[in-house]
Amino acid sequence: MSTLIATIIGSVLFAIVAPVLGCLLDGADRKISARMQGRVGPHILQPYWDVRKLLQKDRVSVNSSEGVYVSCALFFAILAGGIFFSGGNFLLCIFVITLSSLFFIVAAYSTRSPYAEIGAHRETLQVMSYEPMVLLTAVGFYMVVGSFNVSDVTLLSHPVVCTAWAVFIGLLFILTIKLRKSPFDLSSSHHAHQEIVKGITTEMSGPTLARVEIMHWCENVLFLGWVAIFFVYGNPVSILIAVVLTLLVYFLEIWIDNNFARVKWQVMLKWAWAIALIAGGLNLTVLAFI
Amino acid sequence: MEMLGFLIVFPLVAALLLLFARNDTARGAIVGVSAAIIGAAVLLLCFSNIGTAGVYFQFESTVIDGICTIASVLIGACILAYAIRYKNVWAGILASVQLVASLVFDFGFAGSVKVPYGLCFDSLSLLMAFIIGIIGSAICVYALGYMKDFQAEHPDEKDRRPIFFAIMFMFLSAMFVIVFSNNMVWMFTGWEVTTLCSFLLIGYTKTEEAIHNAFRQIIMNIAGGLGFIAALYYSAIAMGTLSFADFLQIGIWSPALVVFPVTCLAFAGITKAAQMPFHTWLLGAMVAPTPTSALLHSSTMVKAGVFLLVKLAPVFALTLAPALMVILVGGITFCLASFIAISQSNAKRVLAYSTIANLGLIVACAGVGTPEAVWAASFLVLFHAIAKSLLFLCVGTAEHHIGSRDIEDMDLLFERMPKLARLMMLGIMVMFVAPFGMLISKWATLTSFIDTHQIALILLLAFGSGATFMFWAKWLGKLAGIATCSDNVEGTVHKSEWIAVYLMAGLVFGCCALLPVISQNVVQPYIYGVYGYVQDAVSNDILWITSILSVAVFIVLFAGVGRSSKSKHVDIYLAGVSVNNDQRVFRNSMSKEAVATSRNWYMADIFGEDKIAPIGVVACAIIIVIAFALSVSTMSVLF
Repeated sequence: MSTLIATIIGSVLFAIVAPVLGCLLDGADRKISARMQGRVGPHILQPYWDVRKLLQKDRVSVNSSEGVYVSCALFFAILAGGIFFSGGNFLLCIFVITLSSLFFIVAAYSTRSPYAEIGAHRETLQVMSYEPMVLLTAVGFYMVVGSFNVSDVTLLSHPVVCTAWAVFIGLLFILTIKLRKSPFDLSSSHHAHQEIVKGITTEMSGPTLARVEIMHWCENVLFLGWVAIFFVYGNPVSILIAVVLTLLVYFLEIWIDNNFARVKWQVMLKWAWAIALIAGGLNLTVLAFI
Repeated sequence: MEMLGFLIVFPLVAALLLLFARNDTARGAIVGVSAAIIGAAVLLLCFSNIGTAGVYFQFESTVIDGICTIASVLIGACILAYAIRYKNVWAGILASVQLVASLVFDFGFAGSVKVPYGLCFDSLSLLMAFIIGIIGSAICVYALGYMKDFQAEHPDEKDRRPIFFAIMFMFLSAMFVIVFSNNMVWMFTGWEVTTLCSFLLIGYTKTEEAIHNAFRQIIMNIAGGLGFIAALYYSAIAMGTLSFADFLQIGIWSPALVVFPVTCLAFAGITKAAQMPFHTWLLGAMVAPTPTSALLHSSTMVKAGVFLLVKLAPVFALTLAPALMVILVGGITFCLASFIAISQSNAKRVLAYSTIANLGLIVACAGVGTPEAVWAASFLVLFHAIAKSLLFLCVGTAEHHIGSRDIEDMDLLFERMPKLARLMMLGIMVMFVAPFGMLISKWATLTSFIDTHQIALILLLAFGSGATFMFWAKWLGKLAGIATCSDNVEGTVHKSEWIAVYLMAGLVFGCCALLPVISQNVVQPYIYGVYGYVQDAVSNDILWITSILSVAVFIVLFAGVGRSSKSKHVDIYLAGVSVNNDQRVFRNSMSKEAVATSRNWYMADIFGEDKIAPIGVVACAIIIVIAFALSVSTMSVLF
């Protein structure tokens, strides 16, 4: 019962805080990207203004189901965040965020737009590419912490990354896919020059698109939370260190995003699975027998 | 005990009646009433014994022993007759070997070994009885409408439906024999009857392909049956018992003694559960009418294989060779069958590969043999049975109404058959995403693999799960496609088909929502009865959260999606002016009409059947050979 209440409270708080944080991160992303490209870049609040404008537009859609699926995707993304940040079960969080991705994919498929379908196929492939490493990350976490409970990291005498650093590197690799950064932004890219129409979001507009944006903000905060949890342990100062290191990781992702062109899906699948197999497999073997 | 006897005998009586029922009304009445009676009897049995750890009935009968002998002779003779008629040498040889072996056993050894407690049930048997009695009989009801259409589509064929329905009910009876027998000879007879029944059902259409595939099935399963007989010989001669419960007890007290028979039984289970390299028989079974596939995949046949393996789980936890075989074969089959499923566009083949994969997972769990793993295996059995039968029934109905079982043709099913498409989507979602039962079982599987440090299995599970997401999600997406107007072709679906499909959907809903209750009252008592303690793989809090979430997803799927909304509807973007939005026709830059098409990805050059299957077949065959070599060598140490 207490888990349920914690999850509900966590989700409500996450629904308020994560969009704000995610929006600021997105603004910073655009600013830093612009500087890397030698531009001035938009104001840091530009993503917020964009979404506010989207929300004010007329409701226009190709069918009545798409919006329902997107709302489900947003709901489950927030729930996943709530589970994670209330110190709940890591694996449940992973499964719920996968459910969210599934609803997003189905939303795109439901339009029957050829361009959205191409995006949906690619999104499905992206999920298949990162899913093994995500599961192995959870397994690595379990082997170090002794349970899937995120809150149990505070009982540790050293951070998870010390003994699961290979798993952490694997997570960093697939993080690029999860954050939809180039070279792995196959399903939908914010670099207009390397996109077929707009991929998975082709038929989403107005308030529906606004919900997609908010969902991405929430997802980004959640995934950075996954990174941060590798640095947190019994010492409260570690939370501060984790935040700093996570922001560094985010900067690294922006740098990668701006320096690599989109790859073909074969390359993504091959690399993501190879790294999951090597980094995940070796690290888990070591953890199991030491 | 009367109840067990009733459940075994009553379907036989129904089968006999059906053999003589020549018209549709009589057949409909018999099937409907018998299915209802079997269902009610099973429910009564389950609910009056809820939470039982195991009940054994003192029951010996030379009459039944005699019937078993006669049954094996009849089975052998029947297969031999078919083998001679269709000139199949291997089937003939194997059937003769088995006939001789079982006759020698029945007259030479079985008589001297007494099994005082012939019948028994525990919570696992009750779970299986529930699956057989409810899902199995619902499939029989579904078959009424389906076979009517099937016969109408093949007017030049002789109407063999009386035999078809008789075999279906005989199948149910044989399954009850397997789950309720403590006497291993009786269990073996049930085992062989299921093999014969599926042989006859697969070959039902008597086309060349059907006969060929039926023989493949019988050859592989008789080979498995020989493993079972070998275990019977060993058990009777070296251990002096033919009681399955005693066999397991001896196995737990002195594992070294049972390594060989357990390997043999595990081999029998692996063939029946269609694990690599024997998975081809289940694929071949697809030529049969859909109710047959549904029955084979969900409630009978393959479930008999995994039932035996799950029963053996506590012994696997203590023995090396058989456990190694079961774990690796199951794990490899799960991963590779999931890969191959990506490359399939035939809906029934996707379902078949997914069955093989999920059975692999159950087999691997049985091999791990810890309480957590058995918990996971039990729920995998339950949810797989319900969701898979729902899917098969939906695909069968869709096939008759859209004229294809290819997933690419299921475009717009959401419009053409709105109710059916939603049910199919439900079935698919239950198979692979949280918060539904299958995924919760997979979670428990993962936990049990981690706790026993099975790194290879964890990796196989992780990659297999990625592939699972891919092949289900793209099918789900295809179903979800919506156009503005399409003809609804749902009106002509038979009522009996709707009854079965809705019953299945209701079961899916009930089992997902009540998962914690089922865990507490059915699965945990069995585990407690076997191991003496219960270990939660997934905590109760989590189970309740997922149960609430699954109800939420149900509501969205059936009440939220597809409602008309106030928003303005527009055409999709087609790189030109839309001419016909539903057919995706647009005017291109040359002012000509062009059609936009898109197909799902099948990635045959990476995940093709011809690329992946040989790896699995060779790897699993080598593992089985090594396991047998190891177990024979331990036997030579013993004696």
